Amino acid sequence: MNTRIGARSLQYLLAYLFVLLSIYPIWLMIVNSFKTTAEIYMDPLGLPATFSFTNYRKLWETVPFADYLTNSILVSVASVILTLIFASLAAFYLARFSFRWNGFLYFFFLLGLMIPIKLGIVPLFLLMKELGLLNSLWSLILLYTGSGIPLSVFILTGFLRTLPIELEEAARIDGCNHFQVFWRILLPLVRPALGTVMIINFISAWNDFFFPLIFIQKDALKTIPIGMLSLFGEYEADWSLLFAGLTLSALPMIIVFLLASKQFMEGLTAGAVK
Amino acid sequence: MKKRGLHAFTTVALAASLFVSACSGGSGSQNTAPSGETPQQQSPSGEQVVLEMHSWRVEDVAGYEKIIQAFEKENPGIKINFKPFKATEYNTILNTALQSDSGPDILQLRPYATGIALADAGYLEPLDGVKGLEQFPKDFLAASTGKDGKVYGVPLSINSTQIYYNKDLFEQNGLQEPKSWDELIQVSKTLKEKGITPFAFGSKEGWLLSLSHGVIAPGAYNGNGFVEKLLKGETNLTSPEFLLSVQRMKELTTYFPENFTGLELTDLRALFATGKAAMFINGSFELEGIRQLNPDLKIDFFPMPTDDGKQVITTWVDGSYGVNAKSKHKAEALKFMEFMTTKTFGEIFANELKRISAVPGVQSSDPLVNKMAELAQSSATPYLMVVHLSQGNPTTKVTLETSLQALYLDQLTPEQVTQEVEKSAETWFAPLKK
Amino acid sequence: MAKSKRSWLIHLFPLPALILYVMFVLYPLFSAFSYSLYDWKGIAKGAFVGLENFTTLFTKEPFNEMFWRAIQHNLIYFVIEMIVQNGLGFLLAYIIYRKIRGAELLKAAYFLPRLLSVIIVGFLWKLILNPNFGALNTFLGKLGLESWAKPWLGDPDTALYAIILVNCWFGIGFAVLVFLAGLQSIPAELIEAARLDGANRLRLLRSVVLPLCMPSITIMSVLTFIQAFEAFELVYAMQGSMGEPVYSTDTLAVYFYRLAFGGAGGTDTVAIGLGSALAVVLFLIVASVSAISLYLLRKREVQH
Repeated sequence: MNTRIGARSLQYLLAYLFVLLSIYPIWLMIVNSFKTTAEIYMDPLGLPATFSFTNYRKLWETVPFADYLTNSILVSVASVILTLIFASLAAFYLARFSFRWNGFLYFFFLLGLMIPIKLGIVPLFLLMKELGLLNSLWSLILLYTGSGIPLSVFILTGFLRTLPIELEEAARIDGCNHFQVFWRILLPLVRPALGTVMIINFISAWNDFFFPLIFIQKDALKTIPIGMLSLFGEYEADWSLLFAGLTLSALPMIIVFLLASKQFMEGLTAGAVK
Repeated sequence: MKKRGLHAFTTVALAASLFVSACSGGSGSQNTAPSGETPQQQSPSGEQVVLEMHSWRVEDVAGYEKIIQAFEKENPGIKINFKPFKATEYNTILNTALQSDSGPDILQLRPYATGIALADAGYLEPLDGVKGLEQFPKDFLAASTGKDGKVYGVPLSINSTQIYYNKDLFEQNGLQEPKSWDELIQVSKTLKEKGITPFAFGSKEGWLLSLSHGVIAPGAYNGNGFVEKLLKGETNLTSPEFLLSVQRMKELTTYFPENFTGLELTDLRALFATGKAAMFINGSFELEGIRQLNPDLKIDFFPMPTDDGKQVITTWVDGSYGVNAKSKHKAEALKFMEFMTTKTFGEIFANELKRISAVPGVQSSDPLVNKMAELAQSSATPYLMVVHLSQGNPTTKVTLETSLQALYLDQLTPEQVTQEVEKSAETWFAPLKK
Repeated sequence: MAKSKRSWLIHLFPLPALILYVMFVLYPLFSAFSYSLYDWKGIAKGAFVGLENFTTLFTKEPFNEMFWRAIQHNLIYFVIEMIVQNGLGFLLAYIIYRKIRGAELLKAAYFLPRLLSVIIVGFLWKLILNPNFGALNTFLGKLGLESWAKPWLGDPDTALYAIILVNCWFGIGFAVLVFLAGLQSIPAELIEAARLDGANRLRLLRSVVLPLCMPSITIMSVLTFIQAFEAFELVYAMQGSMGEPVYSTDTLAVYFYRLAFGGAGGTDTVAIGLGSALAVVLFLIVASVSAISLYLLRKREVQH
């Protein structure tokens, strides 16, 4: 019995120690954003002497943060929605039909999981130029959709395969066509997996800085990470301003996550491994 | 449950179409404009030409605005759109664009090998016949002269590297600017005994190592004589003089801050600006950064004393501006090139950005910058690694950086460092090639 | 499988996904691969040279040396992530699975770092690991362990491990959730039955829980492998494009970046041919290993 209690407290200790470890650096980021640069150098770990919002005010005055935010939201939301629609249509096809080429097609999609698309940046740039999409948010939306599809197809196909087929057969007998079966029967059932796909794609679209760096040069079209990157260059020594920038760029994501964390988790747990 | 799911999905789809249309509304009008051009070009007013200008100097935006204003006043038909990118990503962005036949009209060129490679690959417009180019000394133009002997860039600025020091700390401890290597060591020793870190120095970032070596080394090999012999193939990089330069880098180790192998530029700048360290080996381009961090700091610098009793300051051309061979507005871009050779330009540059202008005879309002400029006239020695040894793969400069890092981690001896560097240079550097 | 009512319209379903994926992922990648067969002068394409770039990459100093050093680091990356991120991740998932107070909070907290951009993660951890005023060394000092304090990122013996551990910190929340999903999909009756048979906890874990979690473990391993072999952003954010100090944190993807773009700030020589050859090799390694493991997983699943 004693060892039982011992083991139990050890589990609690470990689990909550990790909570601390996960949160501490983020805490550090937020706290330091209220300090002056000198304070950060002198006492990087302590609480600020006075909570001042000067950094945030300065940030707001120096960068068009509202523009960046709008662009980031547009790009992330649009690409996530397109990925969700297209990937689930493809997954339906792969999981529910057994055409000769389906095995190949599935593997063909998976190939995209295995290569970082950064390797193809020069041809990609040429392509965007031909399509006239340079300096347009569409370049990012289409690219994130294309690159989000492999993992999304992988997860959604896996999930769909685990669902019983009886419901659909009943619907077909009732005279539903493929699209109606997909739309009315299957989509509601795969919602948890769609949640997973949504989160994963949203995070990577939100945080990517490499492609906007190459494709977007107009200030008004920059996304948050790229705006922050220029801030890093320009105010390299002004750490307190940088921390305010970091906090501000992470904040929208953290807020959305905390608001929807239950949904988030369920999606991930339900969809990731089936 | 079925209904609710459907409802949710319709909402999503609706939102999707909304966002999609919002997007095309926001950016669709620009979709047709390839990079390097801007919509204004197609505007009905017609005459105004807009030039895109790219640079890696994010910190200089305000200064460039003044420069461009002056140019636009003289050339009312031309507008210039200055866009800086973070230095570390600048070349990635530029190369990608150039390879796809786009990119800015006016671009900042890395000095020497990297920039010249763009010219040799045909991406740049030769600047034959740009008025004012002839006034620059030949070694300035060498930073942007292609294999064909043509000049592809207008030199912008001269960088110098030197040892900055904290005047108050020197005065409080009765110290003077050292006039020889031994005096420098003596000064360091005194500072260390007083509990002050003599040098703000760190070896985490390789480029700071070759930069510091560029200051220390000419003192050991007595400046230009050695460089000339090296260029003729009469000496090499394992010679006693060059070895001494590496040994001196090692000798300084005891005067570096604690844990210096893990320190980066930002740490060093802070150490120096807060008065914890008394000396800081760095470039003219760092002056404003230090001042911004601590405007009250009393700061001065001394050039490197050589063993034959002279002084040298290490210099090189930092970046030139060139014209994209694929630009649609070459004539206008060349006009800006011409402007960059004028005193008007040089003076705004020197005063606004506190840097040494490459335009001959330009004075700055900043006494320290003027002191650098004067020394650069009278006792300059080239930054060997940048000016002459920046080719190879990895470059000889990078090889020196990596080897010095290994030196400070006790993985290599000074002798081995010189052997590594020599081996790298022998793969491509004509005078040493075997 | 539904065979009835099949109409040709169904073939339109995968089409949009396929078009976007081929156009924006596969096509640019494979055109980039073709660059490996040409000689490049800086960023200008030269003559067709066949496999010469590959020979150079594998036989010529210092390219071969760099390649083998980098791939070694990728392997270390993989092994440590497997042990720390996935091992610890599984343990934490198991603790949550065996009921713990505040399970929701734990899951959310573990996942929180995953939301941050790698630039932020790199910047934050550089600050924490700063040798002279970073949190870690300060903390060690407070414990009276000053002698343990180190310039973590400047010492070739610790830099790579420090970066990998930061990556584990970043990715552990995702691993916990994936493993938790695997654990929760085990039928409760099976566990009950094993317990009635008198299996102790360790045995239960070893002979019931672990085998039944194999799908999630395999998938996590494959994803970890892909991630470890593509490791770039964090190294770049914390140590730059040279894999400093003295290449001790260099990885294949960082090496690629150096060859293809001349490194950060164009400080090194651009060699697009060699860079593309390296990309092809990297792709072949990752694709073959992950394809084989996924194939084995499918096969085993079918057998069940």
